[in-house]
Amino acid sequence: MRQTSDTFLENASHALADADKVQRRDLMAVFTPLIRDAAMEGFGQFDALRQHVKQVRQHSLDHLGHYLTQFEEEALHNGNFVHYARDGNELNSRVLDICQQHSARHIAKGKSMVTEETGLNDFLERAGLSVTETDLGEYIIQQAGETPSHIVGPALHKSAAEIRELFLDKHDLGPRELAEITDLVGEARQVLRDKFLKAEVGIIGANALIAESGYSMLVTNEGNGDLCANLPKVLIICTTIDRVLPRAEDATAMLRLLVRSATGQAQTCYTSFYSGPRRELDTDGPLETHFVLLDNHRSDILASDYHEMLQCIRCGACLNHCPIYTGVGGHAFGWVYPGPMGSILTPLLTSLEQSNALPNACTSCGRCAEVCPADIPIPDLLRDLRHEETRRQLSAPRWRLGMKLHGWLARHPRLYHRLTGWAITALHRLGRKRGRFSRLPMAEGWTSQRDFPAPQGKTFMQQFALQQQQEMPSPVRDKPRKTRLRPEAGRTKAPRVKPSPPGAAKTASKAVPADKPARAVAAKAPAKSASPKSRTGKPPARKPRSRGPVKTRTEPHFGEPLEPQSGADERRSTTTGKPQEPDDVN
Amino acid sequence: MTRPATDTPQSRPNLRVSLFVTCLADLLRPSVAFASIKLLEQAGCEVSVPLQQTCCGQPAYNTGDYETSEPLARQLIEQFEDAEYVVVPSGSCAGMICHHYPRLLKGEWRDRALQLAAKTFELTTFLTDIAKLQRGEREPIALPSVTYHDSCAGLRELGIKAQPRQLLQELCATDVIELQQTEVCCGFGGTFCAKMPEISGKMVGDKLANAVATKAAVLTGGDLGCLLNIAGRAHRQGESIQVRHIAELLVGDLDSPAIGEAES
Amino acid sequence: MSTSARSEILARVRKASRGSSAESLSQQLQGLGVAPAAPLPCAELATAFLANVLKNQGSAAVVSGRSEAVKAVGAYLYKHFRSHRLVAGNDPHLAAMPWRDAGVLPRFGSIEPGEPAALSYAMLGIAETGAIVTFTGKSSPASNNLLSEHHIVLVDQAKLVANMEQAWLGINREIERVGRPRGINFIAGPSSTGDIEGKLVYGAHGPRGWHVILIGEALDSALQEARELAGLA
Repeated sequence: MRQTSDTFLENASHALADADKVQRRDLMAVFTPLIRDAAMEGFGQFDALRQHVKQVRQHSLDHLGHYLTQFEEEALHNGNFVHYARDGNELNSRVLDICQQHSARHIAKGKSMVTEETGLNDFLERAGLSVTETDLGEYIIQQAGETPSHIVGPALHKSAAEIRELFLDKHDLGPRELAEITDLVGEARQVLRDKFLKAEVGIIGANALIAESGYSMLVTNEGNGDLCANLPKVLIICTTIDRVLPRAEDATAMLRLLVRSATGQAQTCYTSFYSGPRRELDTDGPLETHFVLLDNHRSDILASDYHEMLQCIRCGACLNHCPIYTGVGGHAFGWVYPGPMGSILTPLLTSLEQSNALPNACTSCGRCAEVCPADIPIPDLLRDLRHEETRRQLSAPRWRLGMKLHGWLARHPRLYHRLTGWAITALHRLGRKRGRFSRLPMAEGWTSQRDFPAPQGKTFMQQFALQQQQEMPSPVRDKPRKTRLRPEAGRTKAPRVKPSPPGAAKTASKAVPADKPARAVAAKAPAKSASPKSRTGKPPARKPRSRGPVKTRTEPHFGEPLEPQSGADERRSTTTGKPQEPDDVN
Repeated sequence: MTRPATDTPQSRPNLRVSLFVTCLADLLRPSVAFASIKLLEQAGCEVSVPLQQTCCGQPAYNTGDYETSEPLARQLIEQFEDAEYVVVPSGSCAGMICHHYPRLLKGEWRDRALQLAAKTFELTTFLTDIAKLQRGEREPIALPSVTYHDSCAGLRELGIKAQPRQLLQELCATDVIELQQTEVCCGFGGTFCAKMPEISGKMVGDKLANAVATKAAVLTGGDLGCLLNIAGRAHRQGESIQVRHIAELLVGDLDSPAIGEAES
Repeated sequence: MSTSARSEILARVRKASRGSSAESLSQQLQGLGVAPAAPLPCAELATAFLANVLKNQGSAAVVSGRSEAVKAVGAYLYKHFRSHRLVAGNDPHLAAMPWRDAGVLPRFGSIEPGEPAALSYAMLGIAETGAIVTFTGKSSPASNNLLSEHHIVLVDQAKLVANMEQAWLGINREIERVGRPRGINFIAGPSSTGDIEGKLVYGAHGPRGWHVILIGEALDSALQEARELAGLA
């Protein structure tokens, strides 16, 4: 499939401009999570099942060498041909060989994302074969010349009206209405029945490969995969090496998760296990069966930090729950696999360079991980890919450098507080009248979509430091203390609080023992830790040297002047957020 | 020694809390931090504020720059690890400390991170689960109608859902008017909103539409990033819904301008 | 060539795998226990099975014996097709049914064009999912299951099991007896698709009609309760 992941943002922009499609996706975004939730609630033990299946799959992947070999032995014993393909080209060539050996002209195909990965259909058609997708959704997009937008429902981006137009155009069946969806399905059934019967080769995927018996599992609602697997003379099953499970019951356990997560059903109509070619007692079935087992980077992923991604069962739940996927649709992602799982697989199966926008199309909201039946830590893997991008300097320089600058500054607290103090005060002054900015230099990304709220006043640290300063009993101060605050960063244990007059302060006010940072300021930081420089420097100028009576503080009301402290009821005193210059402190 | 007043939990010694104010509150909305202090003190805590705090390192971490984030994580751990409790008025920053520091750091630092994580709490969770703040004798704070946005990190990393609603009930006798799709991301996502503005714009537009549809006067939540995002969009679209942080509501700070509002 | 692809792939996989003896792997796997199954809508297997058949948009009937069973088949055929034309797999259970009692005579074999209905005998019925299990073969040609407009299945109550895991026990026993079938089919309803706008439509490529006839003692109340559980009563 031609990849357009490198233009993700343009693709997304294009997708967001189509109001009808946006509306359809919005509906799906509300609807699909509801049906999945209902199904899981009906099951009742989602977490327990998820953990069990995860352990079995982890065990299988940990010992894939053993189970893959066992599968191969059993499959051969059952009478299959078993082929291996390192990459898409090898798979495509192998399949073409088999078809040509049998002089096949017509291929009936079940849904297989793996064959989309390798571009099998195009390859076979270029060699002169006619390939018909028999899964209704795949058939629709094949007729429309499009790519799938969702891994479970490839044509969900199309309206019934669009499909009606398509069928009227492509099927030469005379004048007819096709008013209802049932009519469309009926017509597809009729057209495709012929293809099943005419095909010399059937090509399907596999939801699982069973090591102990050499069976492959196929799961559909339509039954089209089974028709491909039973009617043509030759059957080719294309799948990847990581699909192997030890026992049949492991596959059906995984199925409990797959179906509910994908469609909200408790089971699909057809779950079939096929072992090989026609036997003595068979009256139908293929005469010859082939497995083509594709690697295409699975063994790389298995050996990497991203190996958990191999647990994916292709249910599509993460797509349905991702606000970015539902916002922009599957085509924006530009390749076979969209949504959260696609944003991990596309870089791993193609390249990070070609698809570096995809791991960034994520807010780490975590909804995907919440519903993932394989319990894959999707947001973490995406973040790790972003880390990889940072390492390879694939992200825009201004972001990388901006982060580094911010990080450096934040490691120098005094400088950070001073600089931010100035900047924020200035920004506050500029913005206080309107309360927000509709434009702000260096923040075009933000302000293109929303206003930027102006800072409230001085920074908290500025205000807090000022308030603390006012606590200090200073001989030069001749005005009464205006605020009663909890002091911070004293090194000595504070004297006990004077008892307040009865009925006074409603909350306890106790002196606070010195906090570590204050201690650390004076003391050298421990050798191992990376201490910011300022901590080994002199103590900050404003650190109070003693503690006065400590009272509760209320939140500031900005813009209001400081009021003198009333006697007993501290809690009603207001502190000011009014920006105060150091000279003002009295 | 002053006795705690009757409306604070008396059955235990006062909890000593170190406040991590968060850089967004520090820079853009200090009232959140001041309100947090007030709430904690109402709950009978002794609050201290380590002065050298800056940033928890989340922005760099989320963009994948682990190397820039790590020193910030270590700095914060050093600054706070001696506290009895650390309280944070932000689900994402608390989540960063509790969940992500142990992922980010190795060896001895990871152990120290885990120890810190064990005593670090988001504000509303601390107030309900640990400090058990109650209204006591005070009158409930009068609030206009309120709707609530469940910020993602707080919700999914820390399980924050009932706690803010509980506090609104307890202190303000207010029930949240739930918005549709309350658990769907608002599109902030740290640098995401600036890197992918159009997609973020769609998400925040949807969130705002759902908030406005509740007809509530105020939208609140526990994460300033989300609230700045939603408020900014509300003002851009000319919607009148006010946006405030939950801490501000819980202390009745309604007079100061809401997020993005002009000073009157 | 495939052989070098094979050795390369297996080498890479083995390198990334952990080494362990087959025996210890088997033990490890056993140690992981049994997967939780879906809860049954009720404890009684027949009722649970029927409820799920109905939930899956199948139709169901209950009969007390083989004579009743063939009459039920006849009634279904007549209702839907006004004829008794029927193809059935060459299953000894089906061959031995008293077809004359219903005036029905199935043609035993694989479905041919123009035959709208096919009859199967289920090896097992699974209460957890409302599915039946057949092995492909003369006794149950796959094309009968898939190409018919209406698929009718006879299930003996004694062949009902609670869940997938128990089904596999039964299937494995049968495999030991007769060898591995080419195909093991779990069928749980009429074929369907949601591929157009997410709207579920029945009768995709496989049968439109799915009719299960459960043979056992005193099952009328089970069917009644099943209807209620499926929200149909």
